[in-house]
Amino acid sequence: MEYDYLIKFLTLGDSGVGKTSFLYQYTDGVFHSKFISTVGIDFREKRMLFQSKGRNHRIHLQLWDTAGQERFRSLTTAFYRDAMGFLLLFDLTNEQSFLEIRNWIEQLRLHAYCEVPDIVLCGNKADLEERRIISEWRAREFAETYKLPYLETSAATGQNVNRAVETLLERVMLRIETAVDRAMLPGRRGRPKDLNDSDMLAPPSQNCSC
Amino acid sequence: MALNPQYDAIGKSFVQQYYMMFDDPIQRANLVNMYNVEHSFMTFEGKQLQGSVKIMEKFESLGFQKISRQITVVDSQPMFDGGVLINVFGRLQADNDPPHDYNQVFVLKPLNGSFFVQHDVFRLNIHNTA
Repeated sequence: MEYDYLIKFLTLGDSGVGKTSFLYQYTDGVFHSKFISTVGIDFREKRMLFQSKGRNHRIHLQLWDTAGQERFRSLTTAFYRDAMGFLLLFDLTNEQSFLEIRNWIEQLRLHAYCEVPDIVLCGNKADLEERRIISEWRAREFAETYKLPYLETSAATGQNVNRAVETLLERVMLRIETAVDRAMLPGRRGRPKDLNDSDMLAPPSQNCSC
Repeated sequence: MALNPQYDAIGKSFVQQYYMMFDDPIQRANLVNMYNVEHSFMTFEGKQLQGSVKIMEKFESLGFQKISRQITVVDSQPMFDGGVLINVFGRLQADNDPPHDYNQVFVLKPLNGSFFVQHDVFRLNIHNTA
């Protein structure tokens, strides 16, 4: 099947916050998981339609998952390089995983395609209310300082899982469309890309609007 | 000091003993005795550490309990100060994560009839390109 955009998302966060379960929940457990051992990436794919300005865009979404190497703080640059958006997860019942979010953001700013990449912050395991350690206002306050959208999610019940991915997709698509619109303005260098003809989007670094 | 002719046996038995302690969460803290308070360097995934205190802090900060490990090969060389250079190539699995290949280099420095780890470099074998 053909598609208009190939979009790669990366899930990040400490070990045990539920990244793999989150992706599993998102794809209803029916994804085909492919493992690239050289970079330690596991990825799942999903086809979807995205509506914007009255048009349907066919999206081929790739969700990249770590394979435990984050425990050793070893994520290679290739791991970050090609991702267009990031789902950053912490565990609402684990203080340390929340404190580490700051480090993850720093890593992202260093290695991602631009310094202010699109990120959605997810406080996961929201179903474990009796074991919650990070309050919603504390997480929201943190998210606001970094200007990140924040959602409380549960990979177990599915709460806000779709919404988190959709929120990220909207932001990434907005960035892509803004970049394309800008390129179409008169006086800009280069001619506008005909995205319908290209089966894969150009690397985001060339379209980065930040 | 002369070359130590037992370098190969020393390398192998050190590696066995070191990982037995490292892989068991109860024994891991005893690794402090393998390093010198000042004269031990470690590079853990590019992070440079000096001295047993910093090195142990690093180990304690890692978010796994148990490690299952396969040692594929141990290559050792005698050093001219009587020490031993050891290169380990193996595969490890932290708790229930997928297994990863890794590489670790040790330099054992002789001290009062025994050794301490003077240098230690650890990397998972994960590449930058698919």
